[in-house]
Amino acid sequence: MKKHHISAIVISLITILAGIIASLEFHKLHVSEPLYPSEELTSEGMLSDYFPGIKDTNGDTKIYFFDSGKPGATVFLAGGTHPNEPAGYLASVVILENLIPEKGRVIVIPRLNNSAFTCTDPMEAFPQSFHINTDNGPREFRFGSRATNPLDQWPDPLVYSHKPSGQQYSGLESRNLNRAYPGSSKGSFTEKVAYAIMQMIEKEKVDISYDLHEAAPEIPIINAIVYHEKSEDIAMYSILELEMEELQFTPELSPKNFHGLSHREWGDYTETYPFLMETSNPIQGRLRGKTNEELILDGVSKNYQIAKETGALRIVYRDEGEQLEHRVGRHLSGFMAIISSYNEIHFDNPVEVSGLPGYQELVENGIGKYLNN
Amino acid sequence: MKKQSLKIFSLIVISAILFSFSSETGKYEQPILITSAGQSADVKLVKLLAKKQELSAETKLMADVSDLDGIKTLIIVPGFSSKGLGAAGISQQDEMTRVETLVKAANEKNIPIVMMHIGGNARRGGQSDGFCQLIAENSKAMIVVAQGNEDDFFTKISKEKGIPMESVEKISFAAEPMGKLFK
Repeated sequence: MKKHHISAIVISLITILAGIIASLEFHKLHVSEPLYPSEELTSEGMLSDYFPGIKDTNGDTKIYFFDSGKPGATVFLAGGTHPNEPAGYLASVVILENLIPEKGRVIVIPRLNNSAFTCTDPMEAFPQSFHINTDNGPREFRFGSRATNPLDQWPDPLVYSHKPSGQQYSGLESRNLNRAYPGSSKGSFTEKVAYAIMQMIEKEKVDISYDLHEAAPEIPIINAIVYHEKSEDIAMYSILELEMEELQFTPELSPKNFHGLSHREWGDYTETYPFLMETSNPIQGRLRGKTNEELILDGVSKNYQIAKETGALRIVYRDEGEQLEHRVGRHLSGFMAIISSYNEIHFDNPVEVSGLPGYQELVENGIGKYLNN
Repeated sequence: MKKQSLKIFSLIVISAILFSFSSETGKYEQPILITSAGQSADVKLVKLLAKKQELSAETKLMADVSDLDGIKTLIIVPGFSSKGLGAAGISQQDEMTRVETLVKAANEKNIPIVMMHIGGNARRGGQSDGFCQLIAENSKAMIVVAQGNEDDFFTKISKEKGIPMESVEKISFAAEPMGKLFK
């Protein structure tokens, strides 16, 4: 009898200890890692400044303003629409931490869907974070989910009906920020976040908007610039400019009947020229194999190499792997090419920036060199 | 020895084809209609190249037979894009039918077809190759960005059908041979 009591106490203590460890791990998911904006930062705000309906929720997120003090266009850069696409998030962090505005303004939101940074996708074995080595030691960054945390929006409907188009998607997409635009002040959690972003673009009179993404190597839209029809000239000039840097991008026109996406609704509902860019990210794909931090950083997947060699599918995968610095570098060079092409066409209202590394510099020096801490 | 002879023979054939492309200079007339086969937005880049060369060209992603009226040269840019097909609201089969009809009509009206494949390997393989093959085989001249021809797909068609082909390293380099066709 006594033995049973001791066993019960030991099992209870182990259970409590496991519970405490699990709670701490769970709590860590809700703590944002510190970011270190460049010295040129002029002010900070919150997304809820544009729509108080998301204040004190996980949907609220920091906005960073870089104002040159000289007249010019306003650029909005969004990272973290999908926090399981780390190159998009990290590219926005590199820009945040190195940017020097020379003319006009730049607005950066690194964690656009902040709620989606607080969880990972269930049953996928994704790591919760990844680390980048810097001169001052490693920095940790969150790896999150494609969709809003179910703790913030639940349950999913069987079918998600986009408002106002009525276009139907699977229920899971109701938590996808990039299917929620233009959003609604009275809608779901995700639709409210989308609405706040639209308000910000409108009120800040944003001229160019840039949404950074990644996709699985088997997805047809990879290493591409997706553009709204009104952004066509800028997109085409950018692609030719990037080609001179030996970076191949394909142009992809945003379908008018594909609703809820940034490259469609930002352009339809505001004056901004929207762009969305995709790089190849093996950890998002179904063939990825072992799922760990190395796959995020090195992007090496034997399965994708085999799949590419069979030729059965079009696979965008470099033989050396899809390293994070290559993917972040493509986003950085793409960002600068779009600004430069915008300036060629809108020379009377330019936006100029400096201090940012391009693709070659990131590949040669690594990402850590361009992170402050 | 046999291999050496084969290489020399291949070089002669390729040189002959390249030479024959230069003989295409000024052979084609304007106005030009530029369209896609597969609905990729590469067609917009070709439009930009035509503008740079100051060519009289109209661009219609969904050009049909009626758009050939008054047209002297048809430039077709092959390459599949799911987003492009979505934007047009059509299926891949619908697009293939449109392109086949357009090619047939152009051939009947003796309107020469020039193929410009500029999308590199992103517009090859899988769903793109059906469009690439159809247009390449029905063209009178081809301009190809080399990355899209790493497997000699277009070179083989060029040799088999005797179609002059110009290969360029970059999209922007395609403007010059394009301009020369009309000047």
